[in-house]
Amino acid sequence: MISSPSAPPKKNNGLIVEQSPIDSYLAQQQQLQTPVARFSDKHASLTAEGAQSYSDLIPLSKPSAHQQYAFEVNLDQCTGCKACVAGCHSMNGLNENEMWRDVGTIIDTQSAQPYQQTITSACHHCIDPACLNGCPVLAYDKDPVTGIVRHLDDQCIGCQYCVLTCPYDVPKFSDSLGIVRKCDMCHQRLEVGEAPACVQACPTEAIKITLVDVPVIIEQSKDVSSFLPGAPSPQITQPTTQYISSKPIPQTAQAADANSLRPEHAHFPLVFMLTLSQGGIGALIIAAVAFLMQHSDLSGATLRIIGTAYFFAALGISVLHLGRPQGAWRAFLGWRKSWLSREILVFGPFAGLAFGYMTLYFIPSSNYIFVPFNNYIEQCLAGLVIAIGLTAILASSMVYVATKRFSWRAPITFNSFYGSALVIGLAATLPVTSSIYFTLGFLLAVAVRLSIESLRLRAVFKPNHLDHLLARRCLTSLKGYTVSRFSTALLASFCAITATTQPALSTLFGALALLFITLSELMERTLFFQSVVAPKMPGGFRR
Amino acid sequence: MKLPAFLRQFNGPLTEQLVLEPGSFHLGQVPAHHQADAVQHSICGYCSTGCSLKIHQRENQPVNLSPDNAYPVNQGMACPKGWEALSPLKATNRATQPLLRDAAGILQPVSWHKALQVFVERFKQIQSNEGPDALAFLSTGQIPSEEMALLGALAKFGMGIRHGDGNTRQCMATAVVAYKQSFGFDAPPYTYQDFEASEVIVFIGANPCIAHPIMWQRVMQNPNHPEIIVIDPRKTETAMAATLHLPLAPKSDLALFYGIAHLLIEHQAIDRSFIESHTSGFSDFLHFINDCTLDKTVEQSGLSAESILTLVDLIASGKRTSFWWTMGVNQSHEGVRVAQAIINIALMTGNIGKPGTGANSITGQCNAMGSRLFSNTTSLLGGHEFTNPDHRQKVAQCLDLPLETIPSENCWAYDQIIAGIEADQVKGLWVIATNPAHSWTNRNKLKKIREQLDFLVVQDMYMDTETAQIADLVLPAAGWGEKEGTFINSERRIGVLHKVSRAPGQALADFYIFKAIAHQWGCADRFTRWESPEATFKLLAQLTQDRPCDISAIEGYDQIEARGGIQWPYANPSIDGSQERRLFEDGRFYTADEKARFCFEAIQPLPESPSEAYPFWLLTGRGTSSQWHTQTRTGNSDVLRKLYPQDCYVEINQLDALSRGIRSGDVLHVRTERGSIKADAYVSPSVPPGILFLPMHYDGVNELTLDTFDPYSRQPSYKANAASIDKN
Repeated sequence: MISSPSAPPKKNNGLIVEQSPIDSYLAQQQQLQTPVARFSDKHASLTAEGAQSYSDLIPLSKPSAHQQYAFEVNLDQCTGCKACVAGCHSMNGLNENEMWRDVGTIIDTQSAQPYQQTITSACHHCIDPACLNGCPVLAYDKDPVTGIVRHLDDQCIGCQYCVLTCPYDVPKFSDSLGIVRKCDMCHQRLEVGEAPACVQACPTEAIKITLVDVPVIIEQSKDVSSFLPGAPSPQITQPTTQYISSKPIPQTAQAADANSLRPEHAHFPLVFMLTLSQGGIGALIIAAVAFLMQHSDLSGATLRIIGTAYFFAALGISVLHLGRPQGAWRAFLGWRKSWLSREILVFGPFAGLAFGYMTLYFIPSSNYIFVPFNNYIEQCLAGLVIAIGLTAILASSMVYVATKRFSWRAPITFNSFYGSALVIGLAATLPVTSSIYFTLGFLLAVAVRLSIESLRLRAVFKPNHLDHLLARRCLTSLKGYTVSRFSTALLASFCAITATTQPALSTLFGALALLFITLSELMERTLFFQSVVAPKMPGGFRR
Repeated sequence: MKLPAFLRQFNGPLTEQLVLEPGSFHLGQVPAHHQADAVQHSICGYCSTGCSLKIHQRENQPVNLSPDNAYPVNQGMACPKGWEALSPLKATNRATQPLLRDAAGILQPVSWHKALQVFVERFKQIQSNEGPDALAFLSTGQIPSEEMALLGALAKFGMGIRHGDGNTRQCMATAVVAYKQSFGFDAPPYTYQDFEASEVIVFIGANPCIAHPIMWQRVMQNPNHPEIIVIDPRKTETAMAATLHLPLAPKSDLALFYGIAHLLIEHQAIDRSFIESHTSGFSDFLHFINDCTLDKTVEQSGLSAESILTLVDLIASGKRTSFWWTMGVNQSHEGVRVAQAIINIALMTGNIGKPGTGANSITGQCNAMGSRLFSNTTSLLGGHEFTNPDHRQKVAQCLDLPLETIPSENCWAYDQIIAGIEADQVKGLWVIATNPAHSWTNRNKLKKIREQLDFLVVQDMYMDTETAQIADLVLPAAGWGEKEGTFINSERRIGVLHKVSRAPGQALADFYIFKAIAHQWGCADRFTRWESPEATFKLLAQLTQDRPCDISAIEGYDQIEARGGIQWPYANPSIDGSQERRLFEDGRFYTADEKARFCFEAIQPLPESPSEAYPFWLLTGRGTSSQWHTQTRTGNSDVLRKLYPQDCYVEINQLDALSRGIRSGDVLHVRTERGSIKADAYVSPSVPPGILFLPMHYDGVNELTLDTFDPYSRQPSYKANAASIDKN
């Protein structure tokens, strides 16, 4: 009979049967000998305090006025062991999948001598940090003495805007915590005169902390080539990390992952939020204009209801994007510098406005209020809907334009966002009115929109075009979304035509047109997020 | 802006998570939630650098890890694998129960009792039916010496298994044989301090920046502004950091080193007195390299005359020159002769036995050095020879075994065992802590012959290695951190590892598995003195008496730890007392006449070279510092996984890529005579035109490699295959 391996010694008529060898080994395997504390201490005492004195790797004095701490990386010493990443991870007790330091490679195949160099980077503790500027809840603080840019974990709402604004891909969102975290230059260690984890962990002493003069950094940063080839320009945020080498670094060096086709994060809640809010605003604006121009079909409730429903759906879904929504009420705090803050400050009132404009239709005018006065209110609201609606889309656009990503430059983003509002707004009229002008308007808008996007994809044939990688992604790793975007837009167009040519089916096909164009716009917005060429520090090779 | 706390929270529960506190045990600031109540030191279980790691424990659980600052090898540093040494232990694919393949072909959990029963039954059956060659074992360089010794002794002296080898055959056999022939014993002569004392450091077929970063640290600490020369077809990370890079044609090493020897003689840059007093065979060597002229060397190596002469001048300058090599030399069709050509240069210039000199083979796995002395595979236990009757007598006596249990012949090497399976001679195979289904060369052949085995047992930490997946019986083993014992590092330093974590489920230390099998087999009485790892160590130490690797003066683990590791030999504490020792300081070698030998042979034709169908050279090697071999362990750490490309990639030169319309990221098919795999193109500056490079860590790479072996070491070449590529 096979006995269970973990059975205790059997008792047989009062005699204890000995364990079989295997059982005894299983028991021994689970025993841990408590290390002799005395010995451990004695061993440890062989070291002078902390063994290494890292005194030549951190500054002897605190920064004076107009100075701050900065990382200094000696590229001659950085030879690719990557211990800094693991050391930072362990010494700071980070979560399993969390890393604050990144390592990559810059390569140059053009210069006379083949060239490759490992690059290690954590946070550059910039003079004018984009993370801090973009944060709607002021969850970043730049220490006035040390210059360290510290993330305030408990203030963070997990909106991840800093992930988009930082040109160096420094803040890292943690799914489990619902916030971002990032390198804090081990400020707790520096405070007690200990070197940061990465500085301690580097076997070749490639990383140091140094003191830099802020005005010098600001001046240096004006020269785009002063920071590091293959890394984003220092002109945006004035990073303080110093990359030094005794050998010249080829200016043509590129990051090993510079041509990666891997799509960026889709940020699906944002895809829905933007598309639906813009669609809703579009519909409401058309409803308001129609009202002001006294267009019979579209002055009714339907268009307003569609618009308001879209807008509120957008608001609801947007909360899903926040890792810690409970702090979101503080989002007004960043209004001075953050377009995200401003967007929220416009969206709030607009929601009320939309709701009011919609409900006003249902309030019988004769009961309480003098009719012309009621009409006057409605006209005012209509005007506000148009004005604030357009402003809301502007704010949404600026959120992305402000990241300074080339793929999201103003003409592109404005076209994308206002375009969504237009096509969805027009589509929303299709189930409501049978007027051919709206159908033609819709078809024209779709055609123009698709043409603009197609033209942009021509960059796939121009390797030196700044949109080249974006275009390649749309046609390879994101091919599915691109095809879906175009095919659902075509479907929507056919439905629109059918709605006009078959009046009996106009409501149904009008609604289908609206559905399909919404899907199409969602695809477009997904492409917006996933095809973007996101600036970052050089990484390792990836497809 | 100074806002009230409820508006702007500078503190709170999330911020608390990252608070650091002063640590005990001289740990510096540590995360408060990882505060330790005890620390244990252990030698790392990855590479042969042999760093000491400090495991932080709380309530007997490991909570964190940092490098040991007091240990002479690593001085407070570790590479990312060492930092992440605990992560692989928590993986969900750990083998936790024995698994037996049932009639339907599915691996089912069974009890240890059943597993041991079946193991012994099947193996004994095969042994009695199929003959004396029918059983074999394949072991590893990554378990403690005590376990290796117990396995080797159990198999050969207890179970009557004739043939056994280890995966050290795949990486170190060449160096072993080269040293044995040249020095009379497998004796890497250096100590890491030589990295710091050397003035001219020559790396051959080695990339320490990523393969042995903590040894590279010692090079960086060298105060002499040394010349660093890298001899490697690729411009590796180390080549980038070097002062001179010689990108020789693949496998033209022998031509190059004979040519250098010739030029050194021409330049009269040899140490005549050293040659006369301490070497033999020089005049034959002199005659042999007579026609290895510079022109010929240039032609064969593809290097410029200038660069060759620069190297020669550096060696000839009389500065302390050290030569270090790894797989570029060892993995070759004529690796032993290449290693010996390097040794010859060191000998003829007197660059041996002095600080900062030496012909130094850098070892790969954490305990390959232990395997070489104690695995009982190629050499008889304790640095002895099977073929030497005096040695057999000594071992039998020391271990209390009947003399007739000690085999008198050398057994089959790895490739011969594989051939034995193919020839239906080997019917039962026991694989311990290695993954041949991934790592053996030309592995499609291996996959085909698997069916010819009647019974395949795989003993491993993980249940889903490529080899475990095709096993009949899987025995769950404990890994590094879950067992104790000793390792020997590259510089011959013995270090201790401790148990700091409980093995999951019913996984057992290999030591216990071997003991249990001994009981089940009925030969446990032969191993009663092998009570525990430490008892075994003491036994082995006694066994080594009077051998070059004599460690009989080591008292036990405590002493080893107190002294910061002990290099062998350690026979006489008053002579062998200092912490960093090199060999041959007195110029006396281990040969009968105490002289080192000049070994040489004509250059052999390449087994395979680029052709019209396969126009590229395909080289293989290590990819990054964060990948370890077949990735069964490193693949289980989030941190390490982020530090290397997830999918197989092939390095291709810019010009080759351009002419074929290939861009980085394109999916390519890489083909050799033996197979074809997919890999992402990486247009990299590290390979010259005509050469491709595949990192060995990705499954499938060894479908391409040629199974050609060095005739003396029987080590596979792995490199220098002929290949073609095309786009998907």
